[in-house]
Amino acid sequence: MASNFRSAQGANKRKTYFLLAAMGLLTWLVAYAALTYFGAGTTSFVVPLAVGIALVGVWGSYYGSDKLVLTMTGARVIQREDNPELFNLIEEVVIASGLPMPQVAIVEDSAPNAFATGRNPDHALIAFTTRILEVMDRDELQGVIAHEMSHVANRDTLVSAVAATTAGAIAILSDFLTRMMWFGGGRDRRDSNQNPLLLIVSLAILLLAPIAAMLLRSAISRRRESLADATAVSFTRNPAGLRRALETLAADSTVVRQRSNAVAHIWIESPLDGQAVSKLFSTHPPIEERIETLRAMESLGPQQ
Amino acid sequence: MEIFVVIGVIVLLAIFIVAQYNRLVRLNISVDEAFAQIEVQLKRRADLIPNLVETVKGYATHEQSTFDAVVSARAKATSATGVADVAAADGMLTQALRGLLAVAEAYPDLKASTNFLALQEELSTTENKVAFARQFYNDNVRALNEAVATIPTSFFVGLAKVSARPFYEVEDPQSREVPKVDF
Repeated sequence: MASNFRSAQGANKRKTYFLLAAMGLLTWLVAYAALTYFGAGTTSFVVPLAVGIALVGVWGSYYGSDKLVLTMTGARVIQREDNPELFNLIEEVVIASGLPMPQVAIVEDSAPNAFATGRNPDHALIAFTTRILEVMDRDELQGVIAHEMSHVANRDTLVSAVAATTAGAIAILSDFLTRMMWFGGGRDRRDSNQNPLLLIVSLAILLLAPIAAMLLRSAISRRRESLADATAVSFTRNPAGLRRALETLAADSTVVRQRSNAVAHIWIESPLDGQAVSKLFSTHPPIEERIETLRAMESLGPQQ
Repeated sequence: MEIFVVIGVIVLLAIFIVAQYNRLVRLNISVDEAFAQIEVQLKRRADLIPNLVETVKGYATHEQSTFDAVVSARAKATSATGVADVAAADGMLTQALRGLLAVAEAYPDLKASTNFLALQEELSTTENKVAFARQFYNDNVRALNEAVATIPTSFFVGLAKVSARPFYEVEDPQSREVPKVDF
């Protein structure tokens, strides 16, 4: 259980690769099921169409993520003069991480929270709610900043864009095909002598794939959160700061007002906690679990 | 047909060698950059010191030996070059500063002065920045030294004219932790 930040980083990275590979496999399965059920004629245009739509939708928002998220969350970019102490803290983490200085933004909100976005480290933006700056001390805030800068370092905007594209393509594809089924599309399947069992399995795959894709997407998001916690410790070498910050967040029951599902995954603490259907669909690991992992790192003593 | 196989192998081999060479050179440059960052932060700290000493002097007149220690440590720190010298001077200055801040503890008027309070934030963030710059440097040295010592990069150390670099070690054992600057 007790793992240092290096092994925690390694484990979370491996699990992300595994989950992304599972996503790829799922896409392949859906395409295969479509091929079995509808035949090559229909599939050959529906699959590229679905992938195309998902790509356009997600990659536009990925490329402009810094500006888009600013609008969606109502964050306001600030300069050094507006909050020199916050900038001092961010500069400390910037030095520890070797990353370029990000843009900094403030969200007027009575819930303590923070997020990072941007397509690459040169276009990174980290934002804090007004409340988080009030309730946290220097060490806690440093832990939060390190967590957000870890998302930047680990390119999590890119990872979540890849996950969103695949999940989106699968959802669109499944939607198309099930509609076509009701409207009598894909008649060409009658021409081939398909095994009826294979047809049923294909149908089941088409219907269940979107849920599976959503589960995988949430699982990837959870892994990236754990990874960001571990990377944050590699920057500050102070698991206690982030641990106390998470405890403060856990103790606070207010949630960020903008309850948009679209940007839920980017906050350090999920704003959707109260309504999460189950752990499997959650974008964040349970906060108690994250606190425990950090506590285990603390027990290892000062780390080089 | 065979000629293509031979050319293919040669090309792959060339790509491999270039990649190893570039990796070593890149790691070596990162170490230089990380050391430059330490020097930038040490310079920032050195620039804060005259102001700090003046402020403390205004209230604590009988602590001449402490002031002298800080001023001489600062002079050594600003003239030091090379990793070992800079690290040694850095360690001395870190300790001298701690002494100065301990002195400040004994003067409530000083602790309450606006000038001193303004210095407090600057000083604590600078201490953190120095500590993180050291840590970042050492992380980079560790990556370089690992590459220098492990296969396959170790084969190209001579070609890339790169060698293992010294860690930045501050003598004061306490300085591993970020010093708490509570006044």
